[in-house]
Amino acid sequence: MAVTRERLTRALAPKVVAVIGDKKASGYNWLRSMKEFDGPVYSVQVDESEIPGIEELGIPNYKSLTDIPDQVDFAVCAVPRQVAPFIVQGCVEANVGGVTLFTSGFAETGEDIGVELQNKIFEIADPAGLALIGPNCMGLHVPGLGVRFNRDQPAGVQGNIGFVSQSGTHGMNFSLTGAAQGLYCSTLVSFGNGIILEAADYLEYLADDPQTEVIGMYIEGARDGQRLFRTLREVAAKKPVIIWKGGQTEGGGRAIRSHTASLASDQAIWEAMITQVGAVAVHNLDEMIDVVKATLLTKRTQGNRLGLIAMTGGQSVVLTDAFEKAGWKVPTLSDESYAQLSEFFNIIGGSYRNPLDAAGTIGQDPKHLDTIFDILDADENIDAVGMELSATFMARRWQDKPEEFDRLIGSLKRFMAESDKPFLAALHPSHVEEAALTARKRLQEEGIATFPSFERAANALRKASALAAVS
Amino acid sequence: MTDVIAAARAAQRTLLSEVEAKQLLAEAGVNVTETRLAASADEAASHAAELGYPVALKVVSDAITHKTDVGGVELGIADEAGLRTAWDAIHARVAGAAPGADLQGLSVQPMAEPGAEVILGITQDQQFGPVLMFGLGGVFVEVLKDVAFRIVPLEPRDATEMVREIQGFPVLEGFRGTPAANLEAIESMLLQLSEFAEANPDVAELDLNPVFARPDGAVAVDARILLTSEA
Repeated sequence: MAVTRERLTRALAPKVVAVIGDKKASGYNWLRSMKEFDGPVYSVQVDESEIPGIEELGIPNYKSLTDIPDQVDFAVCAVPRQVAPFIVQGCVEANVGGVTLFTSGFAETGEDIGVELQNKIFEIADPAGLALIGPNCMGLHVPGLGVRFNRDQPAGVQGNIGFVSQSGTHGMNFSLTGAAQGLYCSTLVSFGNGIILEAADYLEYLADDPQTEVIGMYIEGARDGQRLFRTLREVAAKKPVIIWKGGQTEGGGRAIRSHTASLASDQAIWEAMITQVGAVAVHNLDEMIDVVKATLLTKRTQGNRLGLIAMTGGQSVVLTDAFEKAGWKVPTLSDESYAQLSEFFNIIGGSYRNPLDAAGTIGQDPKHLDTIFDILDADENIDAVGMELSATFMARRWQDKPEEFDRLIGSLKRFMAESDKPFLAALHPSHVEEAALTARKRLQEEGIATFPSFERAANALRKASALAAVS
Repeated sequence: MTDVIAAARAAQRTLLSEVEAKQLLAEAGVNVTETRLAASADEAASHAAELGYPVALKVVSDAITHKTDVGGVELGIADEAGLRTAWDAIHARVAGAAPGADLQGLSVQPMAEPGAEVILGITQDQQFGPVLMFGLGGVFVEVLKDVAFRIVPLEPRDATEMVREIQGFPVLEGFRGTPAANLEAIESMLLQLSEFAEANPDVAELDLNPVFARPDGAVAVDARILLTSEA
């Protein structure tokens, strides 16, 4: 029986939560992670020796799910695999909306007993329409409701990124590393073996979820590839989808006698599928974060011509190289732009052909940065603007004279507010990282798309733009 | 349409002959050079007279996968005298290169007017099912692996995009004396193959190699179909 949307919504946006089988040996990780949950949290534990520790946390414990005097929407289950089928049966009897089975040791082991237990769980959960997440997964993270599976994950903040992950680690890392860069999830699901609900089910939910603006997915393989393909095609037409495919599956031992079959590697087919559905492919966590960031924080352009502002001549050269390698053009500006720039631009130790080597000019009068932005905004040869923020030269100065940094932020925000052209910044790691850190934090709080290298900035903007071209 | 497949299954063959493959494709509306099987030189001469010279002769045998490797192909045969000479020459070469190979005969087909050589293909992916491939023929596909894939079913937009996705695309727009290829004809052949793959789950692998992409259309000159191992 298919899981209904109502049941899935109860599970993924719960009002009442239960944690089954948490114990001292695991540091009560699951119960502690639910500390910030926006509603009642109950514990289910039969082991008498564990109950006092749970009650010390201020969480009421019950011996069974059905004893809980409340309708549980979402349960987390961390019991040994032999017990898991009984817990799933209990969830069905207590009409729980959905349950995360953190428990592992099922079909992923390849052992007969693991496969048997997994089949048993399926036989119980499937006819009941139970929204079962996993097994062998980290489950659910909804920062807006305080649902977490790791205590470092954010709570009390409404995010806008939907994330579906076949791996618990990559899902967790996305939520943690993303949050450290100001990117928060609306709903994140790590679905592991996905025996009842698989990637396509969560994608459909996120496509309709009003909080979700962009969807990221980490996936290694699909049980029903055609369903995933068709679902992605529909979902990516509604929202930007960014896919990180991990691992290579075996082509199988079949005899290949055609050119076509010999060239159809797993990698080639997945990349083609991602292009075909109108999503973009990324290849690691950093790239996932970069492209999500660019998608959320920069405006969209169909053009590929950049105006670049750098702080030194050397950087202006490699900044240009990085963007051109990623498929951007750094063209000459219009005659009007050059006429305007020639009136104030300091060409001693600077230049304004494009890129604009502008440290001297801005140093002379910070208002010049606004003028440069206005010129680039009006220039019909330019579709987007990038800027190097040099930690090496500026971070100490920003620390000593915060008003100068405020002024810079003001100029960037003014351009972002007034121009339709996307803007992004690069702030490389430097020798004064402790000073640069404050600047990074501030840029992030102000919603300015900032990347740690030119290459990452160029790639992120290119992929975000490819998504825009589809929708 | 399934007759060809049923016959191959009955004979416990998974590799279709060029004649069979082209028959299946022609029934599906794919533009292929008309190809007939001849059991004797006289039969070949009568086919050639109907199809019109110049023609090509190719060996047809379940035992032979790569026809050119055994000298089993003669192209550009201008007349009946040439045809009879070629018939004997192929039989002599194949007998030397593949002694004991059981021949069904030779296929006769008119020489197609050349164009840019492209390859279109189908394979089955473990996770996504049938997948289509497009690329330029020859060195582009074999050495550079410059090909584009799409999952079946294709939408018209997919066909348009995959033709333009390959690095060698400018060749199709007209390059060094090769006239521009009719891209719409290639795209519609891709869409036909998408339908063909959906309608024939028995087809494990298919190569149309080469397809001549000319200004006036596209035609598959050679076709290879491998069926799935179980019916």
